[in-house]
Amino acid sequence: MNFKHKHIFLLPGLLTLLGILIFPIIFTVRLSLSSWDSFYPGLDFIGLENYVRLFTDDLRFWESFARLSFLSVTTVFLQYVIGFSLALMVWEDIKFQRFFRVLFLIPMMSTPVIMTVIWRTVFHESLGPVNDFFSLFDMAPPWLSNEYLSLVTVITVEVWQWTPFMFLLMLAGLLSLPKEPFLAASIDGAGPIRKFVYVTFPLMAPISIGAIIIRLIEASKIMDTVYVLTSGGPGTSTETSSYYIFIKGLREFQMGYSAALSFTYLIIMIISLTVIANVLVKIFIKKA
Amino acid sequence: MTFIYRALKYGFVSVWSMFVIAPFLWALSTSFKDFNSVTGSATYIPWVDFEPSLEGWKVLVRSPAQGGVNIVEPYFNSIFVTCSASLISIILGTLAAYALSRFTFKAGFIKNNDITFFFISQRIMPPVVLSIPFFIMLGFLGLLDSLFGLILVYIVLLMPIAVWIMVDFFNKVPREIDETALIDGCNPYQAFYKVVLPNSIPGLIVAGLFCMIFGWTDFFFAFILTFTEVQLLPVAIVALNSSITPWWSLSASALVSVAPLIVVAFLVERYLSKGNLSGALK
Amino acid sequence: MKKTMYATGLVVAATLVAGTANADKWSDQFPHIKNTGDIAGECSYESMSKKDYSGRTLTINTHAVPVIGEPTALHGEQFSKLTGATVNITHTPAGDLYAKAMVPFQTGQAPYDIVFGFSNFIRDWKQYLEPVPAKYVNMRQMKDVTKSHIDVASWDGQMIQFPIDGDRHYLKYRKDVIDNPEFQKKYKADTGRELRVPRTWKEYGQIAAYFNAQDWDNDGELEYGAAEVMAKDILGSAAFFSRSAAYSKNPNTPGGFYFDLETMTPLINNPGFVEALTDWVEATKYVPPGGINFSLGDEINSFGGGQALFSFSWDDAFVKAMEDDSPIKNKVGVAPLPGADRVWNRVSGKWDEGYNQAPFIVWGWAAGVAKKSDDHDMAFDYLCFFANDANHQADIAIGRFGVNPFKKSDFVPEIYVERQGWDQEIAEEYSQTLLDMEEKSTNRVFPLRVAGTSQFTEAVATGTAKALAGQLSPQEALDEVAAEWTKIVKRVGADNVRKAYSAGVALEDNLN
Repeated sequence: MNFKHKHIFLLPGLLTLLGILIFPIIFTVRLSLSSWDSFYPGLDFIGLENYVRLFTDDLRFWESFARLSFLSVTTVFLQYVIGFSLALMVWEDIKFQRFFRVLFLIPMMSTPVIMTVIWRTVFHESLGPVNDFFSLFDMAPPWLSNEYLSLVTVITVEVWQWTPFMFLLMLAGLLSLPKEPFLAASIDGAGPIRKFVYVTFPLMAPISIGAIIIRLIEASKIMDTVYVLTSGGPGTSTETSSYYIFIKGLREFQMGYSAALSFTYLIIMIISLTVIANVLVKIFIKKA
Repeated sequence: MTFIYRALKYGFVSVWSMFVIAPFLWALSTSFKDFNSVTGSATYIPWVDFEPSLEGWKVLVRSPAQGGVNIVEPYFNSIFVTCSASLISIILGTLAAYALSRFTFKAGFIKNNDITFFFISQRIMPPVVLSIPFFIMLGFLGLLDSLFGLILVYIVLLMPIAVWIMVDFFNKVPREIDETALIDGCNPYQAFYKVVLPNSIPGLIVAGLFCMIFGWTDFFFAFILTFTEVQLLPVAIVALNSSITPWWSLSASALVSVAPLIVVAFLVERYLSKGNLSGALK
Repeated sequence: MKKTMYATGLVVAATLVAGTANADKWSDQFPHIKNTGDIAGECSYESMSKKDYSGRTLTINTHAVPVIGEPTALHGEQFSKLTGATVNITHTPAGDLYAKAMVPFQTGQAPYDIVFGFSNFIRDWKQYLEPVPAKYVNMRQMKDVTKSHIDVASWDGQMIQFPIDGDRHYLKYRKDVIDNPEFQKKYKADTGRELRVPRTWKEYGQIAAYFNAQDWDNDGELEYGAAEVMAKDILGSAAFFSRSAAYSKNPNTPGGFYFDLETMTPLINNPGFVEALTDWVEATKYVPPGGINFSLGDEINSFGGGQALFSFSWDDAFVKAMEDDSPIKNKVGVAPLPGADRVWNRVSGKWDEGYNQAPFIVWGWAAGVAKKSDDHDMAFDYLCFFANDANHQADIAIGRFGVNPFKKSDFVPEIYVERQGWDQEIAEEYSQTLLDMEEKSTNRVFPLRVAGTSQFTEAVATGTAKALAGQLSPQEALDEVAAEWTKIVKRVGADNVRKAYSAGVALEDNLN
């Protein structure tokens, strides 16, 4: 391959991205070394003080990280299992196949900020339909006021919103699989379950891994749902890292500290994702 | 055995379908309510449970001076910005993804996977902190409150997705196809354009759809980086969210903002199915 | 002196009420002011029509529609017609007003000529705002503004924010329950106590709990004790301070309510505040389902829709309840916030027995003109026009506008009886209660307006939310808040906070 060609393919995209990003990235790093807040705007230099603070004095940040891990792993797992299952089901023959395919895409098309308001009214404890249903059993579960149930509510909304993402990726992957292995398996007399375990699943491994990784990245940024549904509450029980960073940054205007939090978050995420990716490769590819 | 399997299949799909539709139905019903219908208990069917009113819908075309939020112009702004940014991101991203899939890069210790990871890591950063530097940068370039400024920022948000997805899809297209094309006398660009690309249509469609979705639904950057000249749809709609949450107009606006993407979903589904047929093309 | 002021107020009000005589060419063109016609003044329709701002653009950032957002847009349209200026407005949700203004300000830019926000932003954004010129301060229109609202808009004697709205917390109650002789008899028989407008928070809690989860108005729906703003946000923390004022604002120990002014030690975890938080946690038992998450909007819907017996935050719930299509119109009453039977004395470390009450002069909507704007003259004229007598009188009659009384001439019962169909008794109760709070009270609490104010209120919001959710006991929660406050003070600098806080303390202790 010629030296020049590969650069011509890669560089326009890479350089555009770098060009737009270079200033914000450097600025954010510099910001994290300052104490910019509403009272001291401007880039003074305080060294690593922000980082020291967040490692030694900010239990709330680490709590939010733990919560975040729980939420993102749970939601991505559910989305993967449900999304993959749905994709398999509409990939083969099924009545109304095209209708289902379109229908299952729709939730992720809605704007999270707005749709979550609708969810808020759905789960509203006095006026919403969910509790109207439960009132038939004389129950009124506090979907948004109880520290554990609120997590369930957040997970429900997230699964509703983003399963289509998994669904679409899996479906697109399934549709572009080569036919040969399946024909071979049929000739060998394999039933649907064996086909899945030995043919479909391994072939879909790379896409699965890619989809899970990107969903984990997106899920970790979960903001709109928490912001509109519970404001991180009740108390702090649904507060995630990105919500906490948002509060520190735009509500309390501690921009310098918020930058340090973001940067730490970025590093931790990069490390975790690399580890998770390796683990996933071992699980998925090993099966082949 | 197969009967149970089929029953389970249809059951599962139906339950999930109901789960998907339910909030939209609720939004539809709520969009026709007004204040008094909402403050009692849950009401469902118009005329049976409550008096319907068009207030929620009318608000969307009135100007703020009359208590509305005119979403017509923001609607078109969003369409323009989303499509432009998505298009540019797809083009640049697909090219870059092809390079990362087919060629080997080595600059010091940075290899292909690292570059790919760099692209996708742009999605990790929570947007909050980027607000000030982007604000300063666009201010310096005079691009605040402008369509072009937003497009620039959205390219940063969307290109990584295009790259990440297309790398996966290109990896599934066997190298032999490229090599055959080259042997047949194509140069690398023709190999890409005429042979590999048509085999990755599902990937392109998916990447395109995701770009459009993330662009259309972004709230944060549109919020921070625009003032009065340019308004995007999510920001315009949220302008309704004052102390008294107007569930009816928010429901109406939720439905209105989903509508164009549903059209896109139809198109996507159709091309996906078509792409299937050309999957075995050689 | 007071008599002449009250008399002037009456005269102005009488003119306003007799307004139909002034129905004139302006009210024909602008139906918004049809009830009063244009009222003479430096910023009246007549005066504005003489100004020519054609070719110039005014850019405004205001709150979402309709609360304050709609009147901003409406007056912008009117202003534009009168003066030829182009008015561009952007609408922002309440929680983001601060960020939307501060991000440009802090990066040295001023895309907006006028910014709307909450009046407790004042310390953080005063260096970016242009003080109100003397000519406006001395106008008759401005002299009519009540003392506490002038105070809220000013810093160190200078008016920084332009008064356009008035806000306060007060108690609202369902007259059809409290004043109902049958219920009074039953309550006395069951509990041995009088059923009356609660004088203390404990009494409030007892009455609310007694009437909780019953259908006392026979509409087929259950009603509850109280609708309160408990959501974990800045408005919720205001509700908390309203509850704590009586327990902690001791007129005998001046020199600080939030902090000890000299040492800058936080007082937020002293027994007065803890008592108030304990009351509040108790309240979670008599709020409607989901009440623990009620935002201001939910509270307005709940009380205004007839679901609760009590409510005590801003005016909006009351205004909503008194609107023509409300099921409880003319069934609600107004009273000052409950007090307490004892107040904490931080000097002696003991409780002072005896009734104590302290209104919380809470923040409200405020508007300021950016220093870096090129259009100061036009901007101030707009704000003055917004708040001119004719517009203001029309605005306060429209509940969803969110504009509430803040001028002495607003507190005349006849206005409400004639224009809004209120019962005479309720209108009188309303006017008298509010006027007393605004003009006469001497033991008051002002919101914390220091550098980094949002950090302090966020800490309170989080801490109280944890207590309400049962994650921590009230003492533990407030101890956490106090620890956080100490850290913030250290970060911002004790002297900086003290300097700013002393301005507030001076107002509270009436040293001005």
